[in-house]
Amino acid sequence: MTDEYAIEVRSVTKVYQSGKGEFRALHNVSLQIKKGEFVALMGRSGSGKSTLMNILGCLDRPSSGDVLLDRENLSRLTDGQLAEVRGKKIGFIFQTFNLVPTLNALKNVVLPMIFVGVPKASREHRALELLRRMGIENWATHLPSELSGGQQQRVSIARALSNNPTIILADEPTGNLDSKTGEKVMEFLSMINKEGKTILLVTHDPLLTRYTTRTIYLKDGEVSDRP
Amino acid sequence: MISDIFTMSLDALRSRKIRTFLTLLGVIIGTGSVIIVATAGNSLKVYIKEQWNFFDPTGIIIGVGTNSKPPQITFTEKVFTDADVKKIEGLPHIKGVAPVGIIAFKKVMMKEGFLKWQTKQGGTMWASTPELLKVLDLKLVSGEIFHEGKNEVLISEGTAQMFGKDTSLSVGDTLYVQQITGRILKAKIVGIYNSSSESNILSKLTVPAMIGPVDPYYTTFFGSNVGGLLRKVTAYTILYAAAVDTESVNKAQVEILEYLNGASDANKYKDEKTDFVFITQEYIQERIEQILSVVNMFITAIAVVSLIVGGIGIANIMFATVTERTREIGTMMAIGAKRRIIMQLFLYQSAIIGLLGGILGCIIGASGGAFIIQILGNYVQELGFSTSSAHLPLIYPMEWFVIATISGLLIGILAGVIPARKAAKMDPVVALRHE
Ligand SMILES: Nc1ncnc2c1ncn2[C@@H]1O[C@H](COP(=O)(O)OP(=O)(O)OP(=O)(O)O)[C@@H](O)[C@H]1O
Ligand SMILES: [Mg+2]
Repeated sequence: MTDEYAIEVRSVTKVYQSGKGEFRALHNVSLQIKKGEFVALMGRSGSGKSTLMNILGCLDRPSSGDVLLDRENLSRLTDGQLAEVRGKKIGFIFQTFNLVPTLNALKNVVLPMIFVGVPKASREHRALELLRRMGIENWATHLPSELSGGQQQRVSIARALSNNPTIILADEPTGNLDSKTGEKVMEFLSMINKEGKTILLVTHDPLLTRYTTRTIYLKDGEVSDRP
Repeated sequence: MISDIFTMSLDALRSRKIRTFLTLLGVIIGTGSVIIVATAGNSLKVYIKEQWNFFDPTGIIIGVGTNSKPPQITFTEKVFTDADVKKIEGLPHIKGVAPVGIIAFKKVMMKEGFLKWQTKQGGTMWASTPELLKVLDLKLVSGEIFHEGKNEVLISEGTAQMFGKDTSLSVGDTLYVQQITGRILKAKIVGIYNSSSESNILSKLTVPAMIGPVDPYYTTFFGSNVGGLLRKVTAYTILYAAAVDTESVNKAQVEILEYLNGASDANKYKDEKTDFVFITQEYIQERIEQILSVVNMFITAIAVVSLIVGGIGIANIMFATVTERTREIGTMMAIGAKRRIIMQLFLYQSAIIGLLGGILGCIIGASGGAFIIQILGNYVQELGFSTSSAHLPLIYPMEWFVIATISGLLIGILAGVIPARKAAKMDPVVALRHE
C-alpha cells in the first residue's frame, strides 16, 4: 500500500561536480516514510544528510532516481511547480531559525500562506492560533531580534505548520540551542507529531531519538540500519 | 497577494531607515535640482517673453551690420539719408519711418542755482523726427513735442529721475549735454514721455533716454566716400519703420530690402562688407526661443545626469541589499516563494525609493526654486535690467514635475531590475548556506 507513504525515495543518487572532479554525496538511496512517523536521520558530518533533506524539500534535484511526495513524482515538476510544492506540502525548520528579520513573529507565520495564496481573512487568524499552540502568542508582534533562540525556533515551527504540510523537514533544529531549550523544542515537535504530523529530523544527538519513532542512518551517502 | 508583497517591501525599507534615507537622498537631490533649474528657466522664460511683448509687433528696426546668425547691427555707421527715409515711407506696406541718429554723450550737466553744477554719466540721445514717438509707441506725459531747428529735447520718465527723486527734471529745465567729442549741447526739456516698455530688458533699443530734433543736434558730413563730392549730407545710423499691420511685416521688410539694395543712398554710403540688417518682433522671438532652447537643453542634461546618478545609487544599494539578504531569499524560496515574488519584492523596494525620491525631490525642488527666483529677482533688479514695476515671476513648470516623478519611478524600476533578477535567480540551496 503506497498511499500511506508521505515520502518515498527510489534509488536517489546525487553527484556534485566540482573543480577537482565528481563527488558522490548520495548513492542509491531508497527509503520510505509513512504518514504520522517521526523519523530521525543520523550520520556523521558529511554523510549527506542535508543533501538528502534538500532533495526531499524540493530545493534540489537528484542526479538520478525519483522522489515521490504524497504519491506525486517530483522529477517531472518544473521549478515553479517545485516552489508550489514547497509552499503547500513541506514545512522547513532550520538550525539557524531563518526568520525574516524585518517581519514580526505573526507576519513570519503568515508569510507561507501569502505565497500559496491563502485568503487574507483566514491567514492571521490561523497564524495566531499556531503561535498560541507554540505558547508564544504574546510575542506575536515582536521582531525576531527581540526573541530568544528557543522562541524563534517555536515561531519557525508555527511557520512550518502554517500551510498544513505533508511533512516537516527539520535539519538540526536544536543545533543552535542549549540542551534544555533544545528539549523544549523537541517536546513541541513531539506534540505536533502526536497530532498526526509526519516529521523527518536530522540530528547528531542520539538522546533525541527518544522522541522519534524510527531512526535512519546515512553512511558515506548510503542508507543503513545501524550507526 | 501583490499588496502583501508591497507591504513587505515597505517593511523592508522601513527596517533599514538610514540606508533607505541615504538612497532616497540621491534621488531627491537629482530630481530636486532638475525642478529648481526648470523652475528658474521657466520663470525667466515667462519673464523675458513678457518683457518683449512690449515691442511693437509691426515695428522694424533697420540698420547696417552683419547678417550673421544672429544679425548684428553696428550702431556707428551712418548711412541712411533723408531721401532714403522719404522713399521708404512711400513703400506700399509702410505706415511710417523715423530716422535715428545716435549721439553718444559723456555726461549730462544741470545748473543748480547760479554756480553749482550737477553731473551725471552719459548715455545716448537719439536725433529723430516726431514720427519716432508713433513708431516706438511713446506717449508724452507732459509738455509737447520738440521743434525742428530748436535746442529742444524730450526725455523719458526714467531720465527725468536721473539726478535723483528730489531733483527730478521737469518741462522747462535746461540740460547741458557733453558729447564724446567734447562739444557741449544745450538742451531745453520740452516734454517727458513714458513707455510701458521702459522696464524692458533691451529697452536701450526701444526707449531712448532723450530725443531731440535732427537740426541742430545731428548733422554729418560726407565727403570721402561719395566720390569726392564735398556735400553736406545728414545720414542716420538706424531707421525705425512700422508696417501697416502685423501681417505685412515680412512684405514690408522685403520691399525695404529691395529698395535699399538698389539705388539707395545708404547702399552708396555703407561699407561694402556690411549688410542691411532688420530686427523685428518675429526675429526677437526667434532669438528668445533660441536662448530658451539652450536653457531647455541644460535642464535636460541635468535631468539625465542626475537621474543616472540617482539610478546608480539605487542599483548599488539594491545589490548590497540583495547580497546581504541572500539567506533570507533562500529561506523565502524554501517556504514557497516563487522567483517572480522574490523579483517583485526587490523591484517594489527600488520603485518605491524612485517614486518617493521623485515626489520629495519635487517638493524640495519647488521650495528651492522659489528661493532661487527670489535671489535671481533681486539680481535682475540690481543689474538695472528692470525697474521696480517688473519683478521676476515664480512660475512652476508643471510638466517637469510630472516628468521628474515619472522618471523617478522609472529609474527606480530600471535600477532595481538587475539586482532583483540576481535575487530571483539564486539557487535556494546555495542561498541558504550563505553566511
Ligand atoms: N554544492 C556542493 N558541491 C560539492 N560538494 C558538496 C556540495 N554540497 C555538499 N557537498 C558535499 O557533500 C557531502 C555531504 O554534505 P551534506 O551537507 O549533505 O552533509 P551533512 O550530512 O549534512 O553534514 P553535517 O552533519 O556537517 O551537516 C559533503 O562531503 C559535502 O562536502
Ligand atoms: Mg547538514
